[in-house]
Amino acid sequence: MFDSELTRHLAVLSKLSFTDDELAKMTSDMTDIIALMDKVCDFNPEIKPYALDAVDYKDLRKDNHNPSSETENIISNAKNIKNNSFVVPKVV
Amino acid sequence: MRYQPVIGLEIHCELLTDSKVFCGCHNSFGGAENTRVCPRCSGMPGTLPVVNQGAVRLAAKAGFATDCTVNNYSAFDRKNYFYPDLPKAYQITQFEYPICTNGHIKVCTGRDIRINRIHIEEDAGKLVHDDYEGISLADYNRCGVPLIEIVTEPDFREIEEVQDFVQKIALRLKYAGVCDARMEQGSLRVDVNISLMPYGSDVFGTRAELKNINSIKSIGRAIRYEINRQSEILDKGGKVVQETRRYNENHDDTKSMRSKEEAHDYRYFPEPDIPPVYISDEDMAAIKAEMPEMPHERFERYTAQMGLTADDANLIIGSKQFGDYFDEAVKVYPAYKQIASMMLVEINHHLNERSMTIEDVSFTPAELAALVKLADDSVVSKNAAKEILAIMFEEGGKPEEIAKTHGFIMSNDAAELDTVIDEILSANAASVEKYKAGNAKLFGFFMGQAMSKLGKGANPKLIKEALTKKLA
Amino acid sequence: MNLQELRTALDIKKISAAELTQQYLDKISALDKSINSYITVCPESAMQDAERAQKIIDAGSAGALCGIPLSIKDNICTSGVKTTCASRMLEDFVPFYDAFVIERLKADNYVMLGKTNMDEFAMGGSSQTSFFGGPKNPYDITRVTGGSSGGAAAAVAAGLCAAALGSDTGGSVRQPAAFCGVTGLKPTYGTVSRWGLIAFASSLDQIGVVANSAFDTGYVLNTIYGADKNDATTSSKSTGNYTGKCGMDLKGLRIGIPKEFLDGSSEEVRNAALKAADYYKSIGCEIVECSLPSLEYAVSAYYLISSAEAASNLSRFDGIKYGHRAEMTSDYSELISNSRAEGFGDEVKRRIMLGNYALCSGYYDAYYNNARRIRTQLRKEYAEIFEKCDVILTPTAPTTAYKIGEQESDPVKMYTADICTVTVNIAGLPAISTTCGYGANGMPIGMSIIGKAFDEKTIIAVCDRFEKDFNRKEAVL
Repeated sequence: MFDSELTRHLAVLSKLSFTDDELAKMTSDMTDIIALMDKVCDFNPEIKPYALDAVDYKDLRKDNHNPSSETENIISNAKNIKNNSFVVPKVV
Repeated sequence: MRYQPVIGLEIHCELLTDSKVFCGCHNSFGGAENTRVCPRCSGMPGTLPVVNQGAVRLAAKAGFATDCTVNNYSAFDRKNYFYPDLPKAYQITQFEYPICTNGHIKVCTGRDIRINRIHIEEDAGKLVHDDYEGISLADYNRCGVPLIEIVTEPDFREIEEVQDFVQKIALRLKYAGVCDARMEQGSLRVDVNISLMPYGSDVFGTRAELKNINSIKSIGRAIRYEINRQSEILDKGGKVVQETRRYNENHDDTKSMRSKEEAHDYRYFPEPDIPPVYISDEDMAAIKAEMPEMPHERFERYTAQMGLTADDANLIIGSKQFGDYFDEAVKVYPAYKQIASMMLVEINHHLNERSMTIEDVSFTPAELAALVKLADDSVVSKNAAKEILAIMFEEGGKPEEIAKTHGFIMSNDAAELDTVIDEILSANAASVEKYKAGNAKLFGFFMGQAMSKLGKGANPKLIKEALTKKLA
Repeated sequence: MNLQELRTALDIKKISAAELTQQYLDKISALDKSINSYITVCPESAMQDAERAQKIIDAGSAGALCGIPLSIKDNICTSGVKTTCASRMLEDFVPFYDAFVIERLKADNYVMLGKTNMDEFAMGGSSQTSFFGGPKNPYDITRVTGGSSGGAAAAVAAGLCAAALGSDTGGSVRQPAAFCGVTGLKPTYGTVSRWGLIAFASSLDQIGVVANSAFDTGYVLNTIYGADKNDATTSSKSTGNYTGKCGMDLKGLRIGIPKEFLDGSSEEVRNAALKAADYYKSIGCEIVECSLPSLEYAVSAYYLISSAEAASNLSRFDGIKYGHRAEMTSDYSELISNSRAEGFGDEVKRRIMLGNYALCSGYYDAYYNNARRIRTQLRKEYAEIFEKCDVILTPTAPTTAYKIGEQESDPVKMYTADICTVTVNIAGLPAISTTCGYGANGMPIGMSIIGKAFDEKTIIAVCDRFEKDFNRKEAVL
């Protein structure tokens, strides 16, 4: 049920490029891993999925603004900057 | 039209909070690149979102403004996708438990448009494209600006309904202080889902989603273009592709935004960094208590209780501040029609001339009411009232005092009036002859003479009566 | 010498902060070439920290950790100091903000010796997935330290810091502590702020302490715990005074031993745990047999939840804003896919792929939602155990530390080895691991004491009592 087509699909979702060899290795690893994960598939569907306890509205952060960071700090770890903005290949 | 359009809307509104939705950066428009950004909203490693109470409050108000159920329990989810304007590569939104559900607004055709949900989410950044270098530049100032997304059911059947709905909801949100609803600035953004089906059918066709619509007028043009485009496809026996299309105002057309094959799977899951929010009934009541009267309620009151025409009522409710001013004025002097007319004609004239809004007016609603009452009580003439208003705009001051100091108080001295009229009639004996011979137009000439002789305090009603009697 | 005694030694000027710091730095330069427990050592700033601390000590206003040299796991953000997550992706990443715990430690004028080695992005149980090469076990440098806080545990065991901050998502503090023969505490979820901890799995991650003793873990926790307005998942239920119960009489304490944990462990580990239970019995504790029936689902549920969250948390690493960036291409998707392919190691990629599998449409309910259901169930089963027990005793890992290269390449084997630790994170409970014996290979065996939520005080005391009567062997280097 786990095949290279599914690996390819997940690689697109994950934004990971793989060579053909890497893809084959990943497909094989994932096949074993998913077999382990399949354990959960038959679990009691009546049980409510876990969620965090709610926080009371009163305890939410009050709406007051603070100073922002220095632009210099925000961009300091980026490899490609122009006009204090982050550079990417043109997207439509 | 050969096909029945079926239309639904997704409306994004920027909330008028002080800070961003998950961090303390200032929520405001524009600014130099990456100057309103912190580690949190720029997606730095190790940072965590913290929900802004103000955003929750305004989202709840949006629900109250649209007759939604505002839910005690709501929760945040992650919507995962990669795009350079989204630094975390996921948008925090509300998927499974939105804050508001099941609202509705009645539109001009009488159709009730159902609102499926309103949820809170964060805005993305802005990209500037450099065609020459083939790059895009990402600026995160807008990242984390609080938004609500209002999702309607596909209940619209006519373009006018869509435009009316957008105008109505924008006005309600402005009234509630939720959003300034400026389409041209993008603080209210309308995405239109549209499909066609043969008349009489109840099976919806494949829809296209239209984006980048910046005005009420563009809504009409974009939909009209899209109806034609889809009709042509269907006429030829083709199939409409489900896709997102970008409206281009300059070309007045829509173009597919699909660049290349991308997996569309947002992999929503509960946001583990943010606990769900619980609003107690008590807090809910407190938020609701802050809601002002909504424009449609105000319209009802103006027409049904005050007897204003629908046109006048619509004009007054068009701005909450204008309506507030009107309400304050009629509270002091409940002459609804006179005050409405003074505001819609005279005040609007001055506001337009001076490029002002009602909030810029220096005199109080009570002073305006006093002015209208002076005219109604014939203390000053209607014309004098207009002149007094001009002075109030220019210099300020109380209408009674202006009337006195500028001599606008109407004279009711019958003896003086008699004398002046007698003088005019004897000085213009030839005209009197002509008048009596049938030239009725000359009555205006005599009126004018009397008015100018008697000055600002002239009482046109008394002059007319006296002239009529003497010329008979 | 525990940290309290070290505090006294500093306060009565038996040793200066600078001398103490220099001793650690000297030892690091002598030994860490072979242990590889640090990714970054900060000799200059550590000496500056020490000098600053000394002034506070001289003024008589030293806090608990003033002048005490600690190490910090390299997934905890330290302003101005590289924070790599042991990944090529963040090889040269320097945050300009401090984690909440670092702010707390700085306020107490601690000394930061450096940043410790770990599994890449804390994903692993051996620390061998580190981009900088894995750390080695001070008891036997041919063996793994465990992970992911392997550097922290090795540094403590080798005496290369007084104590260490680690992080624990599925056992990452406790298991390396067990492998390296030291003590590791994972606090209740929500006790320590995650602000500045580079996220692996948000709903499971918790910063913890590796130290020479249970007392020391509580001593450090006293400084770093507490609600934080920057982390909405922190709790106000934390108690503080975590060493407060040390030395208390444990007579009548009910210790639960869920049978399922023993079943999956090697014989020597099982025997060591049962021997520890005998010890507690001998001092008047009551041993209660109990059961965690859904344990069999725990590893799968843990990997689905943690990988799903990780896939999303690690999406931000695209090379655009920070981190490794591949050569410019004309296509955005291609650029970031290449950056991520080059920046992440194999294990991280597997987790991302698994996480997206669990979340993607068509699989979500069967995998991710069922994992959440199992989470609900495990929490319920723990609550039931705690109705009749005060604490729970389990092995920390099914085996002792294995040889480097022995099983790291088999993901399924690695995953199933987490069976003893993951349920604690799934249930959000506190747990502490200490050495309770040694294997035939001479490697330490760890046992864990699991407590009720926010009852760190009790498990620290229970562990402390055991350590007082247990003869721990030092690593010989």
